[in-house]
Amino acid sequence: MRTIRHILAPVIALGVYLALASATPLWRATLGALFPNETRILYPDVTPLGLVGQHLELVLISSAISITVGLALGIFVTRPAGADFRDVVTDLSNIGQTFPPVAVFTLAVPLLGFGVQPTVVALALYGVLPVLRNTISGLTDVSADVLESATGIGMRPTERLRRVELPLAAPVIVAGIRISVIVNVATATLGAIAGAGGFGAPIINGLVNLAPAVTLEGALLAAGLALVFDALLGGIERTLTMQRDATA
Amino acid sequence: MISIRSVSKAYARSKKPAVADLSIEVPAGEVVVLIGPSGCGKSTTMRMVNRLVEPDEGTITVDGRDVREFRPEALRRHIGYAIQGVGLFPHWTVAQNVGVVPGLLRWDRARISTRTLELLELVGLDPIRYQGKYPHELSGGEAQRVGVARALAADPPLLLMDEPFGAVDPLTRDMLHDEFRKIQSTLKKTVLFVTHDMDEAVKLGDRIAVMREGGLVQYDTPERVLAYPADEFVASFVGAERALKRLSLAPVTEALGPVAAAEGCACTVRSTASLREALARILELGATAIGVQDEHGTLVGSVSVETIVERFRRPLT
Repeated sequence: MRTIRHILAPVIALGVYLALASATPLWRATLGALFPNETRILYPDVTPLGLVGQHLELVLISSAISITVGLALGIFVTRPAGADFRDVVTDLSNIGQTFPPVAVFTLAVPLLGFGVQPTVVALALYGVLPVLRNTISGLTDVSADVLESATGIGMRPTERLRRVELPLAAPVIVAGIRISVIVNVATATLGAIAGAGGFGAPIINGLVNLAPAVTLEGALLAAGLALVFDALLGGIERTLTMQRDATA
Repeated sequence: MISIRSVSKAYARSKKPAVADLSIEVPAGEVVVLIGPSGCGKSTTMRMVNRLVEPDEGTITVDGRDVREFRPEALRRHIGYAIQGVGLFPHWTVAQNVGVVPGLLRWDRARISTRTLELLELVGLDPIRYQGKYPHELSGGEAQRVGVARALAADPPLLLMDEPFGAVDPLTRDMLHDEFRKIQSTLKKTVLFVTHDMDEAVKLGDRIAVMREGGLVQYDTPERVLAYPADEFVASFVGAERALKRLSLAPVTEALGPVAAAEGCACTVRSTASLREALARILELGATAIGVQDEHGTLVGSVSVETIVERFRRPLT
């Protein structure tokens, strides 16, 4: 029962978010009421729902890459064959995280040009660390006795990984994915600097044109999406943790 | 049968070899206990049999076939494995834990579940009550029973056990020992058992292999290890009261005196009792001798301190 609630509530939240985002007149009315003296109320080029679409494209593609790379690297460096690379990989990814995202984008543009592509690459690189770090710590936390008996009774390394290590590490890994995706939703607003659209477009447009309503439009949409993702991934994390602790 | 021939193993970061030119035979259907202080190489020796550790030199054969002929996983699926930490899979039920090796061996589902229930029964856990429990709901003793059930699941002819009853209280351990002996007397597995506890070795082993610094110091029956320790090291390892330990190995029938000696003493022991139990009764009662009854209750003789001393004076064959 509780498992269903953990998943169902965030799905409803997502529905509400999309419904609100698609109600352009509602945005115009609300922001108009908040800023009665402003002439510029909404971002002119794209509807709120259109902005959601652009932003989701950036976040989903880059997060998919971050998760894949983070998981793969995390699994690799916790295998005997990759153990030598573990320190190098975590150091590199830690250093990567210390660059401010604005700097990463400013550097990415001359290297990769304008548009969605460089933004996705920069976001993806930025999102690897939380996934990687949690994958490593989740996998190394599996008890030595459990690993020893899995090997001793005749599981192949891949069977052991799939049936024992990953299920036991799953809650910690999902916690890392959650952090990565949430940070990504916020950081992706900087993609507008590189002309990738998304919620950064109204935020910057509002700042440049001294139109606070337009900035607020982008900020509200971004905050809402971050909350929805947080709820979704938090629900998955809690469900996994519950299953594991019901059993650990 | 397991045959270990001239096996050596040195770990990378250590000067001394963990195991040095060790040879030992584990006869089919017997329990051989590897015993020795920490770091004597007993666990390494055991782990070379199922290739968790690869020897540098020498060969290990199981039923005449070199273990290197098999892929490690295939080999391990046919050798039961139980360790001190038990290492049950915390995200699986007891039944899933027990059924894991049959599952790896691709048994069909019905066969696995029948076998699982059978094994829980065998290790003394009510299948109905326990099959759906998770490891965290088990006591230490219950977890170790499940660990043994998991090792026996695919009915392997061979068992490797590394202090499988180590992490429980003495009372539970005693009970697990008795049940292990009972199970072993019907299953007749070939067992290589590692421990550092001489009482456990004496109680469970058909033979005891005393190890020190990677080598074999003495390989003999429990009674002979106690009676004739090969050197000072073995003597100190078996302990000063080794003679008392021997008492529990010998049945009263080996120190039988005439029936008449126990006349007037109402007290008796069964002929299946050990000399240790008989002596305990004698001391409790302050009697000079007590009667020995067979399973029908007929007096077949008596035991006294003198007959016990006499039994200990006789050389062992």
